[in-house]
Amino acid sequence: MDEMQKLQQTALEEISQAATTADLNDLRVRYLGKKGSVQALMKNMKSLPAAEKPAYGQKVNGLKQELQTAMDARKEMLEKAELDRRIAGEKIDVTLPGRQPAAGSLHPLTLVQQELEDLFVGLGYQVIEGPEVVEDLYCFERANIPRDHPARDMQDSLYIDPEHLLRTHTTALQMKVLEEEAPRDIKVICPGKVYRRDDDDATHSHQFTQMEGLVIGEHISLADLKGTLEFLARKMFGQDREIRFRPSYFPFTEPSVEVDVTCHVCGGKGCPTCKHTGWIEILGAGEVHPHVLEMAGYDPAKAQGFAFGVGIERVAMLKYGIDDIRHFYTNDKRFASMFGRFE
Amino acid sequence: MRISRKWLSQYMDLSDLSLEELAEKITAAGFEVEGTEILGQGTGLVIGQVLTCEPHPDSDHLHVTTVDTGDEVLNIVCGAPNVAAGQKVIVARPGARLPGGEIKAGKIRGVESCGMICALFELGVDRHLLCQEQIDGIEILPQDAPVGHEDPLEYLGYRDEILEIGLTPNRSDCLAAFNMAAEAGAILNRPVTLPAFEGAADEGKPTDAICRTETEGCSLFMEKVIGSVTIKPSPKWMQELLRASGMHSINNVVDISNIVMLETGQPMHFYDIDAIAGHEITVKDGFRESYTALDGVAYQLEPQDLVITNQGRPIGIAGIMGGEDSKILDTTRGLIIECALFDHVRIRNTARRLNLNTEASQRYQKGIEPLAAQKAMDRAVQLLKEYADATDIEATVIAGSDGYKPREITCTLEEINHRLGTDFKLEEVVDVLERLHFSPVTENGIIRVTIPSCRTDMEGMADVSEEVIRLLGYDRLPSTLPEMPMTEGKLDPMQRMTRMTRTMFSELGFQEALTYTLVSTEKKEEAVLTSGDAIELASPLSEQRRWIRTGILPSLLEAAAYNRSRKVKDIALFEISDIETATSRTRQLAFVIEGNLQNSEWTHVALPADFYTAKGILEAWLKRQGIDEARIRFKADAISDLFHPYRSARILVGRDIIGVAGEIHPSRGKERTVMAEVDMTRVLKLKKSKVRFKPVSKYPAVDRDIALVLKQDVPAAAVKETVLRQGRLDKETVIRDVQIFDVYQGEHVAEDEKSLALRLVFQSDKKTLTDDEIGSVMDKVLSALEKEHSAKLRS
Repeated sequence: MDEMQKLQQTALEEISQAATTADLNDLRVRYLGKKGSVQALMKNMKSLPAAEKPAYGQKVNGLKQELQTAMDARKEMLEKAELDRRIAGEKIDVTLPGRQPAAGSLHPLTLVQQELEDLFVGLGYQVIEGPEVVEDLYCFERANIPRDHPARDMQDSLYIDPEHLLRTHTTALQMKVLEEEAPRDIKVICPGKVYRRDDDDATHSHQFTQMEGLVIGEHISLADLKGTLEFLARKMFGQDREIRFRPSYFPFTEPSVEVDVTCHVCGGKGCPTCKHTGWIEILGAGEVHPHVLEMAGYDPAKAQGFAFGVGIERVAMLKYGIDDIRHFYTNDKRFASMFGRFE
Repeated sequence: MRISRKWLSQYMDLSDLSLEELAEKITAAGFEVEGTEILGQGTGLVIGQVLTCEPHPDSDHLHVTTVDTGDEVLNIVCGAPNVAAGQKVIVARPGARLPGGEIKAGKIRGVESCGMICALFELGVDRHLLCQEQIDGIEILPQDAPVGHEDPLEYLGYRDEILEIGLTPNRSDCLAAFNMAAEAGAILNRPVTLPAFEGAADEGKPTDAICRTETEGCSLFMEKVIGSVTIKPSPKWMQELLRASGMHSINNVVDISNIVMLETGQPMHFYDIDAIAGHEITVKDGFRESYTALDGVAYQLEPQDLVITNQGRPIGIAGIMGGEDSKILDTTRGLIIECALFDHVRIRNTARRLNLNTEASQRYQKGIEPLAAQKAMDRAVQLLKEYADATDIEATVIAGSDGYKPREITCTLEEINHRLGTDFKLEEVVDVLERLHFSPVTENGIIRVTIPSCRTDMEGMADVSEEVIRLLGYDRLPSTLPEMPMTEGKLDPMQRMTRMTRTMFSELGFQEALTYTLVSTEKKEEAVLTSGDAIELASPLSEQRRWIRTGILPSLLEAAAYNRSRKVKDIALFEISDIETATSRTRQLAFVIEGNLQNSEWTHVALPADFYTAKGILEAWLKRQGIDEARIRFKADAISDLFHPYRSARILVGRDIIGVAGEIHPSRGKERTVMAEVDMTRVLKLKKSKVRFKPVSKYPAVDRDIALVLKQDVPAAAVKETVLRQGRLDKETVIRDVQIFDVYQGEHVAEDEKSLALRLVFQSDKKTLTDDEIGSVMDKVLSALEKEHSAKLRS
């Protein structure tokens, strides 16, 4: 009896002091293994009288059970402690920088151009692009710009030879579209790079980007132009914008208008952006000149329509508050990174 | 053009309109008022006379004056160097409001000062209208100026307002004040009374003057001899009008030529009668000699220049500037008037070449209406008779003709409304046309108008419709949307590919760049992937912008260098641009990476700027375009001096070369830079597989890793191809993928050899592959590797 009690006492003592799950495993082998101390006690049963055997067996089993329970409890405790220790050791500084995928960016002119394209595609327009080296015929003659006009001087536009030049406006492409489509209806926008003989400074660039629109049908009026441009102005500068037309002059349209939009900075009250007028000039437009239609093969009595041209740089400068057109072409990462987010 | 309210007010009543209202109405009708200027301003002013003027006791430049202002004598301290006793001056009394602020009485260095003696610029008069004396000191009035007059600005003619009007090129007729006044009358819908002068030059006694035009550049030349004039100062109104127009008064005769030009838009030239031998004037061209003009500068004449000659000798550059010898002097006793129409292009070319922009040349360049010459002659004679005692007037001699034919336009109300999208009534339209002096006649629904000679811009119905909406007001234009059959709005395949590419690159961390199309010869030479000869401009802006580039990369490298020099690290740029050559037009994509593409420094995770990063991006991009990876090949190629000869490749899809990629040549800089340029147009044209569903195998995939030892120069792609060729079992390809997961050179591998570790992925769609089956394929693979590449398993 003493032996069993002693074993019980020692074993429980040792279990409660086991420091690691490995120690505990050793104890399990020592006490409960096939060659363990408890099993050894079972062997003693042989020498007991038969009457005592059942009680003895019960006691040993009881001890086995008790030690098993104690070990399980100790194990659970040790495992939890070990996990806690591991977790504690895994503490990190959450304020260190994250592994950010490098933020790329689209060019601000791309952003504006795509926004405009999406607007007009939604209205059923096709987006047409074309060559930048164009014939003088399409750039000027067909656009009703007379031969003695200053822009047609070899010194004033970027000519390659007397018949070819870098397009001064995307109108050159529109005139080609007109000729190809006559006498069918047309509904297109033509975005692209254009070139002028200008020295580069804060407001001038020898290369810039235009987007022109052209709609030709039987009844396309100046009032339709106004409605269409209201769409554009609101998309680019906000839903509550108004537009106004001012008479102007372009050789390829008649009537011709300059289009102003209420200032998006002050809402029309007057501020430095709109030079205190409440209005900002955004584009030029008009009804396509009958001569232009005629030269392209339309009968001006049966077809009419409007054209408009917007400078993408100008829109981007207004929209983002950019003060120097050269920023668009220096490709400074610090400039570009301002345009890498959703708006 | 500049026009003053006083000038316009001569012809119509504008008293009910403020300057702002006037500017707004004129602008709304297509004459943009770009600025307004109040000539002189200030309240509390009075004309005074300086009674005494003593030096200030405590200053070396101030004066202490007493000034009689009529009802009181004021003590005023004055700093102007030109102040003196006896002068008539402009005095601002205490409380006066001037552009610079309010005048207060006070002590200046201990001396009482009750007001200020003014210079004109202190009253807001623009300095460019003043001479140096007027800017350096106070304004000194004529001795007969009335002391006590409460409005010295009015007295001097400085109570006026100027409109700066930006004329559109089609309306240069309004450079003429008479035309501008008529236009303003039409806009404001009020009667206009212009001076009557028609036929004033008709009279004249027989003349022996000779005038000729011997060049196509001069279609009309009118000459008139005025035998006697008196040279004297011009009347005050004339001086004031000139001043308001930014010109200086010289004498009555010269002023008349300028006034008539301002009124009619027609430049005239007056010659001293004694300087023109035989009263003969001929317009010629074909000169090549030096000629000294009125400004004392010698100009080199070229054959295309139009030249005014007397006895075969140049006396003026036509339409630009006259000569010193024949100019009007105080001693001039008579005049010869020149009034001509010159070809505007030739005037423009000459003026530009000689860099001579005069009032006359500017007007000729913009075009002058056919009848202006006759109008100017009439008006000039009228004014010369009235203000220069002109007598002994001879008949006008005319060479050439004005070629004028009156123009009529017919249209209908429906046409006008249809074009504008409006619903205007006939009465409104007719009223507008009457205001414009178009003399509309309506008959059977047809409106017929007769266009005044000055409106050379009016050609047809479209022009008439613009006049209607312009004067009835754009605020009456409705806002509608085009009504036409449904059309599908869409982007074409190249536009969609462009957008997808932009999105992909920006998501990878690239910044989209935009560089100039025009490049220097050096940059042009550096282009790679060129598909034709570069196009050269006939007369470039500068050497930097001589050529249309045939590739993007050189410009992109320049942009990278710009950033590098500004201490920007980790540069990743891409650009998509159309490239045009003498024979081709393509859309190209280029990119440059310097530093790391993805860089998380403290965690040491980065995509370095090396060949494999570029290659991986290009492969991923091509796969996104629908190009099967098996068709993409990178073939080692030195490409050009720009590239590292052993770290560069041509990119092929099948047999098509679609681009180049590589690291920059080490001689180009310390920074490791990798770059690529591809031809998107060619990629778009490549045959692509359709996106189709294929069942995913139900059976497990099994990996087998092998390490091979082979010669260093055996390309990895060749090894991979060998493996894949052996990958069949029972009519099925069971090697589904070959991944290279390690390349090793160094210890335990011979110097000229490398070890390549491959992972072969086996899978069947029909069954679970057994070890034996995989083993049999592996045996074929290994023997083929041995045979084709002398590759051995690494032990």
